[in-house]
Amino acid sequence: MHTARRRIHELLPAAALLVLAAVLVPAVVRAAEPVDVAAAGADELFELKIRPVLAGTCFKCHGGDKVSQGLRVDSREALLSGGDSGPAIIPGDGAASLLVKAIQRDEAVSAMPPDGALPAEVVADFRAWIAAGAKWPAATADDVKADAFSAARHWAFGPVRVSDPPADPSDWAQGPIDQFIAARHRATGVYPQPPADRRTLVRRAFFDVIGLPPSPDEMEACLADSSPDWFARLVERLLASPAYGERWGRHWLDVAHYADTAGDNADYPIPEVRLYRDYVIDAFNDDLPFNEFVREQLAGDILARDSLTSGQSRERYAWRIAATGFLALSRRYATAPFELWHLTLEDTLDTVGSAFLGLTLRCARCHDHKYDPTTTADYYALYGIFASTQFPFAGSEEFASKQFPRSGFVSLLPPDVAAPLMARHAEQLAALKTKTADFEKHDPLLEHARQLEAQLEFQRQQAEAARASTGEAGGFGKLSEQTEELLKSVRKQHEKQLATLQRDVRALQMCGLPPDVPCAYAVQEGTPADVPIQRKGDPGQPGEVVPRGVPRFLDGGVPIAIPAGASGRLQLADWLVRPDNPLVPRVIVNRVWQHHFGRGLIATPSNFGLRGAAPTHPELLDWLTARFVADGWSLKSLHRLILSSQTYQMASGYDAECAARDAENAAYWRFERRRLDAEALRDAWLATSGRLDRQRPGVHPFPPIRDWGWSQHSPFKAVYESNHRTVYLMTQRLQRHPYLALFDGPDTNHTTDVRTSSTVPLQALFALNNPWLAEQAAAFAERVMAAGSDAPSRVRWAYELAYGREPADVEVAEAQVFLERYSAEIVKTAGDTAVREREPWQSLARLLLTSNEFVYVD
Amino acid sequence: MSDDRDKAPVHATSPCLPRRAFLSRCAASGAGLAAAALHQRLALAAALEGGGPLAPRPGHFTASAERLIFVFLTGGFSHVDTFDYKPQLATDQDKLVSAPNLRETGTQPLMASPFKFTQRGQSGLWISELFPQLGGLADDLCVVRSLHTDIVEHFQSTLAMHTGSATVALPSLGCWLSYALGTHNPSLPSYVVLAEHLPYAGAQVWANNFLPPDHQGVRVVPGDEPVPDLRSPARSSTLAELEAEMLRTLNERHAAARPEDANLPARDNSFAVARGLMREAPEAFDAARESAATLAAYGVEPGDNRSFAWQCLMARRLAERGVRVVELIDTGSHDNWDAHGDMQAHRPKAQRVDGPLAAMLADLKSRGLLDSTLVVICTEFGRTPWTDAKGTKGRNHFAKAFSSLLTGGGVRGGITYGETNEHGTEIAADPCHVHDFHATILHALGLDHERLTYRFAGRDFRLTDVDGHVLHNIFS
Repeated sequence: MHTARRRIHELLPAAALLVLAAVLVPAVVRAAEPVDVAAAGADELFELKIRPVLAGTCFKCHGGDKVSQGLRVDSREALLSGGDSGPAIIPGDGAASLLVKAIQRDEAVSAMPPDGALPAEVVADFRAWIAAGAKWPAATADDVKADAFSAARHWAFGPVRVSDPPADPSDWAQGPIDQFIAARHRATGVYPQPPADRRTLVRRAFFDVIGLPPSPDEMEACLADSSPDWFARLVERLLASPAYGERWGRHWLDVAHYADTAGDNADYPIPEVRLYRDYVIDAFNDDLPFNEFVREQLAGDILARDSLTSGQSRERYAWRIAATGFLALSRRYATAPFELWHLTLEDTLDTVGSAFLGLTLRCARCHDHKYDPTTTADYYALYGIFASTQFPFAGSEEFASKQFPRSGFVSLLPPDVAAPLMARHAEQLAALKTKTADFEKHDPLLEHARQLEAQLEFQRQQAEAARASTGEAGGFGKLSEQTEELLKSVRKQHEKQLATLQRDVRALQMCGLPPDVPCAYAVQEGTPADVPIQRKGDPGQPGEVVPRGVPRFLDGGVPIAIPAGASGRLQLADWLVRPDNPLVPRVIVNRVWQHHFGRGLIATPSNFGLRGAAPTHPELLDWLTARFVADGWSLKSLHRLILSSQTYQMASGYDAECAARDAENAAYWRFERRRLDAEALRDAWLATSGRLDRQRPGVHPFPPIRDWGWSQHSPFKAVYESNHRTVYLMTQRLQRHPYLALFDGPDTNHTTDVRTSSTVPLQALFALNNPWLAEQAAAFAERVMAAGSDAPSRVRWAYELAYGREPADVEVAEAQVFLERYSAEIVKTAGDTAVREREPWQSLARLLLTSNEFVYVD
Repeated sequence: MSDDRDKAPVHATSPCLPRRAFLSRCAASGAGLAAAALHQRLALAAALEGGGPLAPRPGHFTASAERLIFVFLTGGFSHVDTFDYKPQLATDQDKLVSAPNLRETGTQPLMASPFKFTQRGQSGLWISELFPQLGGLADDLCVVRSLHTDIVEHFQSTLAMHTGSATVALPSLGCWLSYALGTHNPSLPSYVVLAEHLPYAGAQVWANNFLPPDHQGVRVVPGDEPVPDLRSPARSSTLAELEAEMLRTLNERHAAARPEDANLPARDNSFAVARGLMREAPEAFDAARESAATLAAYGVEPGDNRSFAWQCLMARRLAERGVRVVELIDTGSHDNWDAHGDMQAHRPKAQRVDGPLAAMLADLKSRGLLDSTLVVICTEFGRTPWTDAKGTKGRNHFAKAFSSLLTGGGVRGGITYGETNEHGTEIAADPCHVHDFHATILHALGLDHERLTYRFAGRDFRLTDVDGHVLHNIFS
């Protein structure tokens, strides 16, 4: 290690500038070899060093509409004429230039930028640039913003460029990923941590790949495996586990903002939407090529239909239908079916843009995007595609109040199979309606009632007559009372039977599809039409009609061709995954990297636009992207590649010298310690307690559709207990699941690309006192107590289960002291010997489950 | 880094060196950092100097109010039956007027208020008989009569009143204040919402959304267990103390091998705060600690822990204990002020809140807290000056004008802001959009609504979107 470190340090000179370039320059250096800045031409100095600072730091107060202190910085001329304090630059004399004095914070002038000094290297660059004549490349001299931030130059919109992995003279690197990472180590002046020990690596890989802790047996098997490829074999086992899809499918469900309710004002539940969730999990488990995954989610219904004659299995057909749940999940609003529909489609576009392209499209709903080249016309070109699509209606307040049935659910059966069922259903419904109408008029009870009415009339007349003559109603009076009672009961009987029939009619109608036709919350083709631009995002102010299509700045001048009669979804999907679209594979590769390491190579995984973060390792990202596409868009191959790297297998240790150079660990000199996210934490609690149910649950226990009647005044709201994995919890749009809300679960109303990891006292309260967690701890304690009769062996087993390691002797001793003190104390409050025996262990179990070692993964 | 600093101007004022040094080390990492990462660093930096994301911070300028009590009366109370006197409605009773509602426009007859209005206090503010007690404090109240909102539906306008957005959920006003100003009592949440029932739009009205979760509103459900998970499963405090000690031992051993990781002590610290909450919350929410006279003034019966009177009393207790924002929601999404059938339905709703609110204001005043506490009493929209449907005595939803009250916290009393026309059907002068209302509240708390921003999804978000004007002349 020591020699490696020395060697890396010797490679340091000239590296610092490169770091800066990688960090500050939106248009990255697209070269395989390090650029020698000193030797580069003045143009390059300007482009690499000066323009990004002017554009990124100075421009916001001294450019565009803003001319603070009368100074603009968006052209050489502007700098020469300067502002209120005179010329900003004196070409040839850097040190005397006002600009330099300002940024080096000379006392005589206002310090710039006002909110924090630029790094000394940047100041030196400016001095050097001005000293060399302040050359401003003519072609781009007019507008810093439009140029440095131009689409044509923005790295993410450019093609994927494959460069050779740089050689690693230290021999640390084990493969191309490590070679790219090592180059950055050298440039930053940091050196990598040693490999993690085997237990740490096993625990890391389990949580990372399947989201569960290793059982003591699994840990033992890994430790006992003496083959050199033990880790690769572990990775294969993990990738083959169905738990893999439950873990990584969840990452995608975050992006798709999955929820089990629609988000309208009454938040109607959607029992069928779980099929989309299961589709995603299975797609990951099956390693469905990502390009197919994209196509199926956008146009699975069309693909399923087009493949009817090509030997597609019934199952595949169904999954493709369910796949478009991705679109169907778009958030609903208000109380009527399809109300405020432009907002729903805004959500569709926002999710599609963020998920696949890494672009924030929503800004362009009201005006051309301020930063990205997306125009309002681009927005409504895409909008038209989804406006030409039929979305399902899952219910809303007017389902109940105005009897709007659920609609637009899509049959999972191919049309020829579904048709007879649908026909039969239509017949049944028609028959039931006829029967009901008939019953309403011709129920024998009604005839009976009419007879009774006549009788009653007669009896009353008789009683009246009797009263007139004798003053008493007599026998007819008594009789009429009895008849009246009977009549009431006959009428009631009729009404009850009629209500049952009407309820049956309603139940058949309100569900949408027949109960025996399995269906999905999915989309299908609607009426294709181009739509007008909505001025200022207001559907009441239609503008020019724009043809359906994809953003013009990305289409390379070739608009997609949408056949007559089609919405354009399939063409959009095919365009997204065409081999030369750089964005889609880059975006997913970055997401995969992000989940393995806790941070993407782009820190803004759903924003690759001009306001997104710059890539920390652009060459690595492009190399991985090219490799991913070459590997048939296989996510599992990408996992294997990443997991096999030294970069992944490093320890999460610390080094003050490296931290001083790179506190953010942007160069990956260590593996980042991470806290378990909401799902992994709950699953780990359940797994450790022995209560985790690994089966996939069926439909959520929603009340039957015929009983639905929610409104905004009384919205649907439920929390269902379950011991299944957390990915299967029922989650709502309006009412967050209390556990997921507390532990930074995903936003169900908006695509989530990065989970926050908050540390708030309410989480601590949950850990300390929550009854559900105490139950898990009690079950964990039972497991521990069953392991043996002596305290040390129980403690050892507890540590193995909770931490995946044996305790040190001192830890066993500490636990024993704790247990003894607890036992001595509990005698004062609990008489029951069983309680006295159990509770110290339950307490220790609770502490292990809430301790930092349980919650953090090295 | 400069962009990120702009985003959190209120964070950048600390003169403390370790944090500066920490931040400047971070500064080298460029402008494109994700907001979450930045927050984490700020939180860590704050932890290093013993603060935290909830440590109190100064605003942009001197505030007239230290804290906010936000009272939300659910369902839309009628402006023309409460604080916006329209005698002309009686004159023009039954006159047919054009009556737009959510989806179509028809005609409906105007309807006089069934409630008697009188002039109250020295200032002579017109207040209806629905609020006799609040009327007694007329000289402390500022009535805004020209509020208007965008979408006339409970759900959307409730969301708007809380988040500024009538469509997608954004962070709530209370979260913004917590984010900007922190709080004074680390053992209590910075933003407490007392709500027995869920309002329209549910928990979205106090959700932090993209703001760091430290700032989410904590809903307290009036009743026996106001804050969840406050009771330790350990049988005695000695056992709980023993557990705390053991947890420290476990965590210290773990941290000893990871001394550089500030997240670990930060998590330990959250447990310490949680224990503070376990100690202090029961006391804070215990009405029995008040004198009989105080309880009587609010109308809190012995043993009561769920009435609106209890909520008002808790608001004062929490304000006293340094909670930055307290919100009171009087009813849920049903059985509220939504009087479609008969305006008389306002009577029991008003009766339930009038006395307690007046008692709370008087109590705050007598304790010298009203000057530093902005109290806002509002609703999501007004009600139509015409009848809901021909033949009914109720009123429909109305977005074009409604009234709300502001008091304390530097707001002048006995005044009105804005005017509606003779029938209360249009704003006649000085309109106050929801964004203006929010800008004004932020202003009272020392915040410039245009500078209170948060970078999310590549954009700087504000509570007031791209609009909002402070109602400057309501302040003294």
